[in-house]
Amino acid sequence: MIDIIGVSKRFDGKKQVTALDSVNLHIRKGEMVSLMGPSGSGKSTLLNLIGGLDRPSAGEIKLDGELLGGLTDDALTKLRRDKIGFIFQFFNLLPTLNCLENVSLPLHLRGWSTAKISERANELLNLVGLSQRLDHLPEELSGGERQRVAIARALSVYPPILLADEPTGNVDSSTGEEILGLIRDLHSRFQTTVLIVTHDKGVADSCGRRIALKDGLVVQDVTA
Amino acid sequence: MILLRLISWQYTRKHLLRSLLTIAGIVLGVAVFVGMHTANQSVLTAFTQTVDRIAGATQLQISAGEAGFEEDILERVQNVPEVRVAVPVIEAVMNPQTKSQANILILAVDMTGDRSLRDYALESGDESFIEDPLVFLAQPDSIMITREFAAENDLKSNSELTLNSMDGPKKFIVRGIMKSSGLTTAFGGNLAIMDVYAAQKIFGRGRRFDRIDVAVQEGLDPAAVQVKLEKVLGSGFQVEPPSSRAKQFESLSSVYGMLANITSLFALFIGMFLIYNSFAIAVTQRRSEIGILRALGATRRQIQVLFLAESAVGGLVGAGLGVVLGILIARGIAGSLGQFLGEVYGVAQKAEEVSSDPRLLVGAMVLGVVTSLIAAWIPARNAARVDPVQALQKGRFQLLTAGENRMRRWTAFGLLSFVGVSLAFGHGRLIFYAGYFAAIFAGVLLVPTLGLWLARGMRPALKAIWPVEGTLAADSLIQSPRRTSGAVTALALSVSLIIALGGMTQAAYASIEEWLRVALNPDMYLAPTQNFTDRSFRFPAELASEVEKLPGVRRIQAVRIVRLPMDGEPVMFVALDVSSVTQEARLPIVSGDGPTMYSDAAAGKGVIISDNFALMHNRKRGDVLTIPTPGGPLQMPVLGVVVDFSDQKGSILLDRSVYDKYFKDTSSNVIRIYLQAGVTVGQMRERIAAQAGTRFRYFVFTNEDLRSYILKITDQWFGLTYIQIAVAVLVSILGIVNTLTVSITDRRRELGVLQAVGGLRRQIRGTIWLEAVLIGAIGLILGCGFGAVALYYALETSARDLSGMRLAYGYPFRTVLALIPIILGSAFLASLAPAEAAVRGSLVEALEYE
Repeated sequence: MIDIIGVSKRFDGKKQVTALDSVNLHIRKGEMVSLMGPSGSGKSTLLNLIGGLDRPSAGEIKLDGELLGGLTDDALTKLRRDKIGFIFQFFNLLPTLNCLENVSLPLHLRGWSTAKISERANELLNLVGLSQRLDHLPEELSGGERQRVAIARALSVYPPILLADEPTGNVDSSTGEEILGLIRDLHSRFQTTVLIVTHDKGVADSCGRRIALKDGLVVQDVTA
Repeated sequence: MILLRLISWQYTRKHLLRSLLTIAGIVLGVAVFVGMHTANQSVLTAFTQTVDRIAGATQLQISAGEAGFEEDILERVQNVPEVRVAVPVIEAVMNPQTKSQANILILAVDMTGDRSLRDYALESGDESFIEDPLVFLAQPDSIMITREFAAENDLKSNSELTLNSMDGPKKFIVRGIMKSSGLTTAFGGNLAIMDVYAAQKIFGRGRRFDRIDVAVQEGLDPAAVQVKLEKVLGSGFQVEPPSSRAKQFESLSSVYGMLANITSLFALFIGMFLIYNSFAIAVTQRRSEIGILRALGATRRQIQVLFLAESAVGGLVGAGLGVVLGILIARGIAGSLGQFLGEVYGVAQKAEEVSSDPRLLVGAMVLGVVTSLIAAWIPARNAARVDPVQALQKGRFQLLTAGENRMRRWTAFGLLSFVGVSLAFGHGRLIFYAGYFAAIFAGVLLVPTLGLWLARGMRPALKAIWPVEGTLAADSLIQSPRRTSGAVTALALSVSLIIALGGMTQAAYASIEEWLRVALNPDMYLAPTQNFTDRSFRFPAELASEVEKLPGVRRIQAVRIVRLPMDGEPVMFVALDVSSVTQEARLPIVSGDGPTMYSDAAAGKGVIISDNFALMHNRKRGDVLTIPTPGGPLQMPVLGVVVDFSDQKGSILLDRSVYDKYFKDTSSNVIRIYLQAGVTVGQMRERIAAQAGTRFRYFVFTNEDLRSYILKITDQWFGLTYIQIAVAVLVSILGIVNTLTVSITDRRRELGVLQAVGGLRRQIRGTIWLEAVLIGAIGLILGCGFGAVALYYALETSARDLSGMRLAYGYPFRTVLALIPIILGSAFLASLAPAEAAVRGSLVEALEYE
């Protein structure tokens, strides 16, 4: 499903920093994988590269056998919107749009019909338990509720891959449990391949496969 | 100072493009101010230099307006013991049809006395006539030219030069070529000297002079001699030092100067909103920086001074760039402006060099800095009031607080009430202009509220058409009125200016066309020059008589047009046979009883004045005017007021018999011809040619020619106002670019999210484009509303203080239709670069942007 072949990422500045150093990984379809490591170990960088938000300095990434390196920015965006759902630590909801509009956003970008969008957005918000909050703005929601909206948005087209960057990092522990439960539930229901970047060992342990990074290198790769 | 370097400079460097856009308004405002004034100053300087160089050692000049006077006045002046030398002069511009096709200024003098006033240093030619002027006088075909003119036209000593005189073509012999000196550089070096009595024939002066140049006896005070001469000659003559001619020209062209002031001040006013906007945004964005500074011990005053110092430096840089750009603009337009003003006012000058007045440049710099400081005052005060604890907390600060908005609305309501009162009860100038400014200020205060309402109103429609791009564009405006209100205000003000100018143009053209139709209806005109405003040449009375007798002529009117001083300003007098005019045309009457007014004027019992003269000189029917004439002051009552567009400064219509009697001048500037039924202009042209042959210099114009000429001059005037429009639109567009640049920085994360969840580049671009077009649309809608009010005030201002002409109010719907694609298109163009910037850059950084 996801092939990472000799991927390195370096950031140029006054001093060159190597965030990832020749990483090789193969993630199978339907796996639920956690990426752990201390700050600066390269886990978020790896997630961004897999999601096509950034490009590697060296190496190749394949999604479903398709090489990301050869794609134009717009082709990469199309691949991202069809195959990948993102969940961010700080939710990244648009503050002026209500829950329904935030969830509808990716569907509008795909050019779906209004009726179809409405049906799907309602269905997703119902799925994450927010059917009573459709017209609420993000600022009117709790942290957990915002993350649920973000998850609903990430699932808008039921993408085969779900990438979550510290999805429980900005909520309290009980809400974090709820969020994680929701992700696990979606994973089992839709057989979605899930990659979760986390600092939380509990979150990592709940995943079927645990990968640890340190200084840009894979130092542990354990499958339960 | 250290804060300026450590904090402000770093911020400016980081946001260099935005900083440049911020000062662009100042650059343009100052550039227009410097450019238009420097060009005007250059024209004025060229005229002054021509006057100075031609004056030589002349201390006083005696004239009777443009009418000139008879030869016997010279003797009366020469008999005054305090006068050392008095020389008759005729000064006129003509086109000698030489190789360079350039106009030449003819200075015609009496050589016997003139050598003590002017130095004719000859380079080549017959020195003998300079040694003995009688030799020059004995050969009336003598002419002296400058070395520059000779070189440009391949002329040498004893070359022939044929001038098209009032007596037909006349050959002159170049008897001297003058060295380059002070005198010969007058009028750009295109100068010729001839005998004054020869010039009388050439220019159709009869036995009259234009003026007398005087030098007083050694040791005497010219001012005292001036008083003596005024006493001897009477109030019909003007005795003044040569420099006062420049003042008259300055007075004539004052409307242009005022227009230049309005244009540049308006540009600066709009520019002020850009600066206000940028600083208001900067204060919001730099809250945490301000909080840190306050936490580290910076006082409120230090914060306020820091922001004001930033604005002062920005203003100084902008003004400096504006001065440079302004001088470049002046270089580009001085020549054509000189030609235009010469054509409008019939005054000879040749502006070739740009002369910058240091006081003007310093004034422009001060204007730029002060404008910048005023604009930054409120944001700087807000920066000083930032609470350090709140500032260090994360959150959104873009929203206008409800209290702030409510206060603006109440203030605007108060101002509008004052506007209503000023319109209902205020007829004085002070209260009128106070009302005008209150209306502008109220509009400015209402822009954020009205803009917000419009954005909210448009959101559903935009969402329906472009679900993502439209919604986000509308939300961007709704969410951050502070970010966009400056640009919307600048645009609304610009649009209102365009509406006002459009309405004025429409009204002016309608009125002028109606006036041309009703008042100027002869079938054809005979003029001694190709330019209707050039009064260098005059027809002798006999030509009018000969034309009148031609078969097919139903009626002629020999018109004499002169400027005479009234209330210290040169005013146009139009002398013609009033009874004849009333048979053919009726000028629209503003005040007065039609038949009585015209019959009394025809009987020489008074004058009829134009409504713009009445308004600008505060005269009305029944007032008595004192007209200076060589025959003494002439007291004439105002019999009526009519609509007449003959001159910007107003005109006075008097009967030809009165003019001839008091000015002893039977010459004409133009002969109006009415044809009998069935006679064509072409036939009459042939009959005139057969009759006049080459005995006279004349040009034939049809009614359509005159209409086109007047409309061309009108076009040129309004052409000046188009500069205002261009500057206003340009500054507004810069405002939109500035706003969008800030907007994409503010919304970097939002745009990043949009891309992360599948937004294509064209969709991101579309969002920015729509935001720009939405700003344009809101500015346009508000501007169209404000324009309705601005047009009223523009028409009133024009009537009260510019042209004195009362023009009918008519909303310029066609201008609005033309503006829709211009403003929306410009807004779209303004968004192209920011939209590209929005899709470039790192997506990862955008998502992490805080």
